[in-house]
This record gives sequence, C-alpha cells and structure tokens, in this order.
Amino acid sequence: MSRSKTATAAVLAALLLAGCPGGPTKVEIPDPVLLPDAGMASVGIDLPAVPSVIETTTVEPMTGDSPADRSPLLDIMVAENRRWMKGLGSAATPAYYLAYQITDSRVVNLEAEGGALTTDSDEQDRNLDVEIRVGSPALDNTRVLSDPQTAGLNDPLTRHGVMPFGTDKQAISNHLWLETDRRYREAEQALTYVIQDQQTLSKKSQVPDFSSAPAEVFVGKLAKLEYDKAAWVARLKRCSERALRGKATRGTCSVVFQEITVYFVNSEGSQLQQSFTSAQLAVSVGVKAEDGMGLGRLEQRFGVTPADLPDDAAVDAMIKTVTADLDALHDAPLAEPYVGPAILEGRAAGVFFHEVFGHRMEGHRQKDETSGKTFASYVGKEIMPTWLSVFDDATLTTLNGMQLNGFYRFDDEGVRARRVDLVQQGRLMAFLMGRNPIEGFEASNGHGRKQPGLPPVARQGNLVVASERSVERSELEKMLLEEVKRQGRPYGMVFTDISGGFTNTSAFGPQSFKVNPTMAYRIYPDGRRELVRGIDISGTPLVALQSIRAASREVETFNGVCGAESGWVPVSASAPSLLVEKLEIEQSYIPPDRPPVLDPPSIKAQGKAQAGTHGTHGGAQ
Amino acid sequence: MKSRANPSTTMTKYAAVALGAALVAVPMLWPAGDDGAALAKPAPVKLAGASTAVTPEILDAIAEEMNRSMQSLQIGRAPKPYHISYKVTEVDVNDVVSSLGHATTRRNRHFVNIEARVRVGSIDVDNANFVVAGAEAYDGVSAFTLPLEATPRIARRATWLVTDTAYKEALIQLQAKNDARRASGGAKQDVPGWTEEQAVVAEDPVDVPALESLDDLEARANTLSATFRDHADVRDSRVGFTSYLERRWYINSEGTSAHDTRRATGVLIAAFGQADDGQELGQHWTRYGRTAADLPKEAEMKAAADQLAALIGQLAKAPKLDRYTGPVLFEGEGAAGIVRYTLAPHLGGTPLPEGLAPAQAKQFGGGFADKVGLKVLSDNLSIVDDPTASKAGGHALIGGYAIDDEGVAAQKVEVVKNGMLQTLLHSRTPSKKGEKSNGHARRTAPGGMFHGTATNLILTGKGGMDRKKLVAKLLAEAKANGLPHAIIIKRMDDAAATATPEMTRRELINLYQNADTDLPPPATLVYKVTFDGKEQLVRPVQLGEVALRTWKDVIAVGKAQTVANFLASGDGYVIQRLTGVGDGAVPSSGIESSVTTPDLLFKELDLSAYTIGKREKPAIPRPDGK
Repeated sequence: MSRSKTATAAVLAALLLAGCPGGPTKVEIPDPVLLPDAGMASVGIDLPAVPSVIETTTVEPMTGDSPADRSPLLDIMVAENRRWMKGLGSAATPAYYLAYQITDSRVVNLEAEGGALTTDSDEQDRNLDVEIRVGSPALDNTRVLSDPQTAGLNDPLTRHGVMPFGTDKQAISNHLWLETDRRYREAEQALTYVIQDQQTLSKKSQVPDFSSAPAEVFVGKLAKLEYDKAAWVARLKRCSERALRGKATRGTCSVVFQEITVYFVNSEGSQLQQSFTSAQLAVSVGVKAEDGMGLGRLEQRFGVTPADLPDDAAVDAMIKTVTADLDALHDAPLAEPYVGPAILEGRAAGVFFHEVFGHRMEGHRQKDETSGKTFASYVGKEIMPTWLSVFDDATLTTLNGMQLNGFYRFDDEGVRARRVDLVQQGRLMAFLMGRNPIEGFEASNGHGRKQPGLPPVARQGNLVVASERSVERSELEKMLLEEVKRQGRPYGMVFTDISGGFTNTSAFGPQSFKVNPTMAYRIYPDGRRELVRGIDISGTPLVALQSIRAASREVETFNGVCGAESGWVPVSASAPSLLVEKLEIEQSYIPPDRPPVLDPPSIKAQGKAQAGTHGTHGGAQ
Repeated sequence: MKSRANPSTTMTKYAAVALGAALVAVPMLWPAGDDGAALAKPAPVKLAGASTAVTPEILDAIAEEMNRSMQSLQIGRAPKPYHISYKVTEVDVNDVVSSLGHATTRRNRHFVNIEARVRVGSIDVDNANFVVAGAEAYDGVSAFTLPLEATPRIARRATWLVTDTAYKEALIQLQAKNDARRASGGAKQDVPGWTEEQAVVAEDPVDVPALESLDDLEARANTLSATFRDHADVRDSRVGFTSYLERRWYINSEGTSAHDTRRATGVLIAAFGQADDGQELGQHWTRYGRTAADLPKEAEMKAAADQLAALIGQLAKAPKLDRYTGPVLFEGEGAAGIVRYTLAPHLGGTPLPEGLAPAQAKQFGGGFADKVGLKVLSDNLSIVDDPTASKAGGHALIGGYAIDDEGVAAQKVEVVKNGMLQTLLHSRTPSKKGEKSNGHARRTAPGGMFHGTATNLILTGKGGMDRKKLVAKLLAEAKANGLPHAIIIKRMDDAAATATPEMTRRELINLYQNADTDLPPPATLVYKVTFDGKEQLVRPVQLGEVALRTWKDVIAVGKAQTVANFLASGDGYVIQRLTGVGDGAVPSSGIESSVTTPDLLFKELDLSAYTIGKREKPAIPRPDGK
C-alpha cells in the first residue's frame, strides 16, 4: 500500500499561539521598516448617534427538548459514570468529577477540481472523550505547574477514544470502563506532580481549578442529513470548471456536509443529547505569482443544511469574485511597510476582532502563568471607544438574515450557552469562560468548547461588534482620505478580506498579533484604488483597539472555523467596517520560488509557444 | 490509444511457486484441506473491472506532458531532466474494525494520485538518492491528486505541476549533492547514479477480484469480535478486516508504459490483558490473502480468537523468564518473525542515501552490502526472493507484483545458496558499476529513491527435521551448555497489530525514552522447555541484539514451512507503538510482503524478560463483573 510522504514522529509541544481560521502558524518575519511618522496626534471624530444595523434571531437552549427521543446510550453512560464515581469514592485518590462525551459524526466530503471529481467520501465515526478530575475543585490534577520547564508533566494524553457504534450495553460499557481507567490512572499520577509543585511555592494561587455548574438535562431530536449527491456532484464539477480559469492553476469547489450528535453525561447529573447538521461550500483558486508568492482566494458559505447553501447564481457570483480577485492579485505589486490610517471592511473587521481581541477574551489566557494576561488588569476600564460594545452569544442563529456558524445550545462542558457582554460602551466587562475559573470570574458562561479528542478551553462562538454611532460605508472612505491628508500619508489602506492570523498570548513573547489580509488596497487621495499583495497587519491589541475612529452602519458576518489548543470549532464574527487611525503593515514572507517553468499545457492545445515563456500569455500561471 | 512506448520487454506474469517436498502447510496457519480444492475449483468471483479513473486517454495526457517536459523543461543554463518517471496509483480500500460485536471504525478510502520523479545531471552523476541536510523535502519527487473520473485535461495539468515541482527540487538536490561530494573528496563517484534498463510495455488491464463490501467486512468483524464478550481475562480486543485494491501505472521517458494491480484482503485479531503484577499483555493473529476466499474459514478464525483469549489468561499467571543465553527454537510465526525483523532488512542492495543520518540509516539494513560471494548464513540455508510468485504450496502470497515501483519487471532472485550470498535485491540505484536492477524497487527512503526490498522471501533449509527431533536437538544443545532448560519462540510482536490505546502520556514518553530501537520487537509467545519435554508458557521476552553473524549459527531447521503474509511498515517498532492504532484502525498501510520459512534453531541468543508496559490494575472491576 502506498504511504504518503509525511513525517511520522509524534510531536509533544505546548501550544502558545492561538489563531484562526487558518490555524496557528508561526513564521520568521523581517523587521518592519516604518514610514516616517507625521507626528499627528489622535483626533476625535464626531459620529452621528445612529447605531450600526444589527438584527438577530436566537434559539433558547432548552427549546425543542424532546425526552421521547432519548437514546439508550445516555442511560449506559449514566450507569457507568455512577459506577465509577461510587467505586472511586473509597479509593485513596477519589475522583470528584467525571464526564463522558460520545460524538457521532457523519462527514460527507465532495470536491471537484477543474470540472472533475477528486474527492468523494462519506465517513462515519464515533469518538469517546473522558474527563476525570481528582483532588478537589480548589486544587486538582489539571493545575498548571509553576515551572514552565516541567509544565507538561501532568498533561493528559487526549485523543480519539475508541467506542463501538450502536447501543449495546456490554460493548459500550466496556470501552467507557477502559478509557476511564486509563484517564483515572493518568489523573492520579498528575495530581502527585501538582501537590509536589505546590509544596515548592511560597505564594499559592487561591483561584480554583474547576467551577461548579448546574445539572442540565436536554434531549434533542436526532438530526438527519439529507442531500442529493448526484446533483451536488454535478454542481461542484460545473463550479470547479468555471473556477479554473484565468491565471488560476488550481480551481476547486467543495462541500462538507455533517450530521453530528453529541451525548454528554457528567457526575453532576447533566445528561445532554444534542444533534445537528451543518453544510459548508468553498470555492478556492490559487496560483503562484511571478516572484513565487503563493496566491489564493477562498470564498466559503455556511448553512445548517445543504439546502441553505447558495444557489447556482450565487455560486457563480462567488466564482466571479475569486477568479477576478486572483487575476488582479497576480498582477498586483508587492506592498511596502506602512503605518497609517486604514479601513477594515465588515468581514475583515470581524476576523480582525476575532484574532486581536476575541482570543484574548478567552478566560484561561488570563490565568495561565505563562500567558501574557493582556486584559487581566483592564476589567472595568476603557479599552476601546465608548461607542463600541462587543458581545459573544452562541444562542444567536442569524444576524441581519445570515445564519451564524457559532450557534450551540450547551457547550462541551455541559454548560448552557448564553450571551456574554465582553465590552460595554468601551469598557471591558467580562471574559469568555469555560469551567476553568479566573480571579473575579468564578463561573462558566458556557464557552468551554473543543473538537472531539481534545480537552475544552474557553472559546468564542458568535462574536459581535456593535457600534452606537455609525456612518454610511461610503462616508467612511471619505473619512479615511481626510485622515490620510491629516497624517500626511501618501495613501490609506482598505482591507476587504483577511484569511486568518495568529496572536501571541504567551508571556515569553511580545503581546502582539499578526493577521493576513488577502485583499488589501491602497486608496490614494485622488480616490484611485490599487490592489497590493504580500503584507501582514501586525501590532499590539490595546493600541489597535484604541485606534478605532469610526464604524459603518452596515454590519457583515464572517463565518468560519477556528483552530486553537482545543481544536477546530465553528465560529462567526460580525462587525461594521471600521476606520482605524493607525495600522502597522509589514511585508509577509515570500518563499523563494517561481511559477511553473513551462506554460500550462492548455496553451499548447491553442497552438501557442511553450518553453521558457512563462507569464507571456493570458493563461499563464 | 496512441502507443506511449516502443515495446521491448513484456510483462512478467505471476506464477505459483513450487517448493516441492520442502513445503508443508502448517495446520496452525493454513488448513491443508483447503488448498487443493481452492486451487482446482475456484469459486466464481466478481471482478473489479478496469479503472474508470485512469484510462488510456489519461495515460496519453501524462505521456504528452512528459514528452513536452523532456524537450523543453529548463531553467536558464541549469541542466534539463535526463529522465522523468511517473507512478499513477489508484487506491480503493475498505476497512472495518469491531470490538465486542460492534464496529468501531468503518470506512472506504478511494483516491488517485500521480507521483513524478525527475532526474537531472547524467546517468553517472545525478541528483537522486541524496538527502539535502536541512531541506529533506527536496528530493526530486512531487505528488498531486488526480480526479476519480477520467479527465485528461486535468490529468495533464496535474502532470505539468508535479513535473515542474519535482524538477526544481531535483536541481537543488543535485547542487547540494555535488557540494557534499566535493567536501568529502569526491567519494563514490565511480558508481553510476542510475542503471540503464529495458523499457517495459504492459498496458493491458489487469483485472482482479472486486473488493469485499463494507457490509460484508463489518458482518465478519462483528461476528468474530463477539467471541471476546465471553472471555473474562481479556480487557480490550478488536478484530479488523481490510480489503484493498491498488492499481498502478508506470510511465517513463525511456518508453516504459506498464500497468499492474495488487489486491489483498486481511484479518487482524488482537486481544489485551494484564498480568497479576500489572504487566500489559497483548496477543495478535493476522492473516492476509488475495481475497477473503484465501482467509481461513470462520470457525478457524473463531478458534484463533478463543486461543488468543486463552493465552491472555494463561500469560496473566505465567512466570517471568530469567536472563537466558542459549539455544532458541523459532517455530511457525516465530520463525517468520525472526526472518522478517532481523534478516530481511539486510537483503536490500540499494546503497543508503548519501547524507542520511546514521540513526535513520539503520532501518534500511545494509549489513550484507559488501558480503556478496561470502558466507552469510548457515550452510544449510538458502533464500529466494520471488515477486513473481502468487502462491506457495497452495497458500496465497501477497508480496508479489508484475512491475516494481521503478517500472522494472519483477524477477525471481536467488539471494543465498547454501549459506553463500549470491546477490542482493536491487533497484535502479546501483551500489557498484555494472549492477542492474532485479525488479525489487519498493520501499521509499529519504532522498527520493526506491530501495531494493524483500517481497516474497522464501527461506529453505536442508536436512529438515520433524518437530520431535528438532526439540530434541534444542534440548541437547541446552544440556551441552549446562542450561536447565531451552526456549521456544512461537510469535513475535507486530506493533501495527498490537499498539494499544491504553497508555497514558507519561507511559508513552517512558516507552519512547527507554526502548532500544536497535532490538527486534519482543517475543510475545514464548515457552520454556525442560528436559522431560514439558513446555511451560512464560511471559514475553526481549531478544538481545541479533547480529547478522548469528545467522551462520542456525544449527537445524524444521521440515514444515510456514507462510506468513504481512504489511511491512516503514516505521520502526517504537514509532508504531507510539502512533499505531489511535482510532483502532486495522493496519492497511505498508508494503505487502511474505516470508516463507522452516522452523529455525539458533545455537545461541540472549533473552531477558520484557518489562515495558507495567501499570496499576484497574481501579474498579469491569462493568460486566467478569
């Protein structure tokens, strides 16, 4: 059998970066060369007291509770959970908390490239996660050890847990028993490291390791994925054929349809059965620029069911966008380092907030001794303009008519989802909390999330930036040009699409962020607009947030998936377009490469020249 | 379809190997009664049919792009490719794993990819078989996904991209290789980089039986895995079935255009328990054939599962072995294991990639590299490696093929005759001037090249004894050495089958740090035999280093031949234990291989108790109260 060219060594390393939707990455970057600062002080801008437009719909978590649809699986899980808790009651190291999560998933993946189907898979999987805690909520096996050199000694090995399909009691119980035994043995050993570590500390943290939560019982009806495979294959083939045009050397269209059912039981009495479907459509094109820079454009749409995805006309519009953007990027000049005013357009502003602000609102980052705790001392203080508020609400299902990807009823720690007002009128009010308390925030607010096989941490759901004052989008650009003039800059910047980025939350590094704009434009005082490529936006979060000067009335939503230490979770980020007084832009890393030496083979078919003439024909690279 | 090449050599066909009287089916492995009937009256089987993904039009498109690249691909004054080859692979696999009567994994994987290899320089000195320090990925090889349905336009585009990437890598690799050779005084420059071989044309479809369906495999796995529901000593268990089909096409700039198809079906049974002192215990049983029809009957597999469960129970109370240095008899699967792990890796004749780190190089053996013409085994032993064989004594062999991974026709090779090394298993990367491939290019190594690798390895011995005499000789040897007993090894571990998900993070780290990667896997089925002929099961043992010279001291062989099919992993034992079966997957990745061997009596080996995997007993009893 063939083996792919991949490394096989296991890597066990602490994850200090959080980033999405492209996932955490770290690259060596050159020092930015800043343009001379014009020395302008910040100025206040009068904004009309008209709020940005935000209309939402929500689903309360208990809506649709249907006890008649309860799976026998829950009863098996409850019985084994109780048996363990009772059995360990008399153990030398008793457990005080035990949770089981079984995730059934069916994932359909269809992908076509250039008009031909390349991926056709329909996989079912069942995963078991066991969380066990020994010691006490005040101090348990999960406490981060004080010395970073030894911090991994009490880390658990979490992974895909084997669990048979179906509801056979003997088979299910035996595998629950096996994994619980392994995790208990691990937790017991971990606690010895924690106790030993505590004995060496002169100053001990009084913040507990785990918070209590009310027992929740909810049974959702089992969701059923329904789709017309033949029709979707035909659509994807047509889509990808149209996407592989112009300068693109890669043009794919794909869908991922999921049917997920999550069963959760814990020793506090929670018994949850949540079931849902999801659908994702992606149109992606790519090419190498003449200097070797990899260029790509991706447009994605999300829905609850396949029927929610765009129709053919909307897909055609997506194709038109990505292919036109890619062609333009191919011919666009490289940008230069820059500091000056910029507009982050709706979706880009959403991603910007998710990366720069949202990840630092994840509560555990304010606790870990190795974290920078950027915002820990800012609670109650002003961190952004007073006309801006930010909240995260996983119970939202739509915003301005668009379905939101970060909806859920109960988080992965069995806690009910709810709205959390993070910033109210510019003041920091709260953090996103799982069941890992921090000083001043003892309880979970339903944001403990993870992908199957990983331990949960606090994560974002539906992040929303709301502005009490706003202007029309067209007005925002006029304000940008005024700011360009005021600062004496040759141009301003407009970012319409950000593919992802990362933010460093480790205390061992600068508390900086870097996001990767895909579509970035220079706007000159005469109104000329010039696409540029090869840049990153970098900076520090507090400065960036305080540089926001205006917001648009229109609010856009970015739907996606976010990767961090607890894996990939679906999220959304909604924001108005934002005018920022100063953003710092640096050149991104461009690998030393070049486009294909020969022209694409299609050129030969057209009777054009072949060798050594790359880049001279319309269809080249 | 336009011809892609000028025929010069026709494809080698599979053949059944006749081992004559030397081969006796071992009932434990293969039911003797099944063979003749199965061969004489094969049941009608549904055939897989020709590929709908890779058609003659696809191959034409690839060939056209190859020709364009050979003619025009060049950057500035850098060298053009002097050789381009493509391997197109279509894989279709059904895997099912069950535990206690219910599936835990059920999946199909179907994909097609194209892999390009570009060589620059000349046949005397080229880029290949060299590891670029700090940039190991630059190996002149690039791969890309092809559509699941024949689309020549996309195939040609993919060929364009992979060729371009491989060419650029090859240029960097050649530069680095030349630099390294200059720095080392020009060593090895008298050895060509590549052999000249005749082009092979074998373009006809090779039809094979269709895959067993997922439903069929699941039914089998569920039934068999339910066996363990009644065994109290078994903590964990799984039964996996895999059914796979791999179609391959080879095209190169010398005119080769060849097609081959491989097909296999396998079953894995694994059971785990814990000794009274906490030691982890694992037993496995695997069988592979070309289809499910080659596998043992259901009753025999059930008996095997019952036997594994019984062994777990017996091992839990079995004594540990003290340190032992003395004669060891390897029987059945144990004999196949010692051949697989300590002898087969050294039969490859491809030179190790220049620049490969010594620690990494060890897994490619090479112990016989300069021993051709010399005695390497006991006088009574001979080895043939025969990829053209499809059966041995009526038993399916899965290590065969018609064309190797470099497009060279498979050849039967007499490697060792009466203990004397005749030749090694060669790919197209020679170890000395004038050497040719003998159609054994299979295993990839860092540096981008395929290495000569064992396929269907058949070891035979003169003067084979029946078991009674063999054990008597074992005991006599022990007595002559003043030992109170002797040792029989009947099974060696296969981490691909027994890797357990029960380890904690600290236990995994301890395993990684403490395991000696130079040693063979532990022996998991070991018996102490005393002079009264009684055999006592003992706990698993670890063999000390089995030096190649030990193979000159095989003092007797058995009459019966054991046939063992397996998938040879490119990873070492410890890595497989670490990364093995996280989701309980059946091993369906690795190089299809077989070993046929008689029982082997070694004059002297070092053994000690295997102690890795000790842990606390369960905190509470299993839920069914057993």
